[in-house]
Amino acid sequence: MWIYEKKLQYPVRVCRPNPRLAKEIITQYGGPDGELSASLRYLTQRYTMPTGQAIATLTDIGTEELAHMEIVAALVYQLVKDAPLHEIKEAGLSSYYADHDRALYFVNASGVPWTAAYIQSKGDPIADLHENMAAEEKARATYEWLINLSDDPDVTDVLKFLRQREVVHFQRFGETLMRVQDYLQCKKVY
Amino acid sequence: MIGPYKMRLARAYIPFQRYGQVWSPAEGLRRGTIFPELFSPYIPRDKGSCGTCQ
Ligand SMILES: [Fe+2]
Repeated sequence: MWIYEKKLQYPVRVCRPNPRLAKEIITQYGGPDGELSASLRYLTQRYTMPTGQAIATLTDIGTEELAHMEIVAALVYQLVKDAPLHEIKEAGLSSYYADHDRALYFVNASGVPWTAAYIQSKGDPIADLHENMAAEEKARATYEWLINLSDDPDVTDVLKFLRQREVVHFQRFGETLMRVQDYLQCKKVY
Repeated sequence: MIGPYKMRLARAYIPFQRYGQVWSPAEGLRRGTIFPELFSPYIPRDKGSCGTCQ
């Protein structure tokens, strides 16, 4: 069960349309290393985690990633909602527009739709936690490339927040991996 | 050895964070973490043609 807070985890205030930047940032909505992938990966894998601490960590981080998905959605929408059609065309978003107008859809930066094949749920907690640590690093790297692509300081500010959260998540999954490895080692020995 | 751990091959080790000094909630929101030891900002690159927007 979830409790919904009717506000974003981090505020998004974009002053001018920028469909080019929206086209790039949307990869963190529906791309392989994006927030939908992250949240669904953790919220699905948690059932086969061996300890209460690991289950709780995947639930907490999976929930926060849903909040990040909402932040990315707000960013993308604010960047396209008032963009004139000629700017959408110039930004290479006309094929997206043909299918979705300015609505949000789960695609990567090249327009490829989201697929469950982006994520794994292996039934092996060590393998899953390694995937999650790698996922955090890939998300962090994506935010860095997006920061490099951004020419809007208000957007960059939000991207920096989201990037820093990935650094914290990596540490939490690392600590969880240590605990789970020790737990499984103890079970083997005794 | 890291802390109480005898290091084994073919497994990963991550140091545990210890709870210490924290920033205020407002400062933590601005930076993305309340923990100074986890704060590691990115220095943008490839900005060449647009020096004014950083
Ligand atoms: Fe994350």
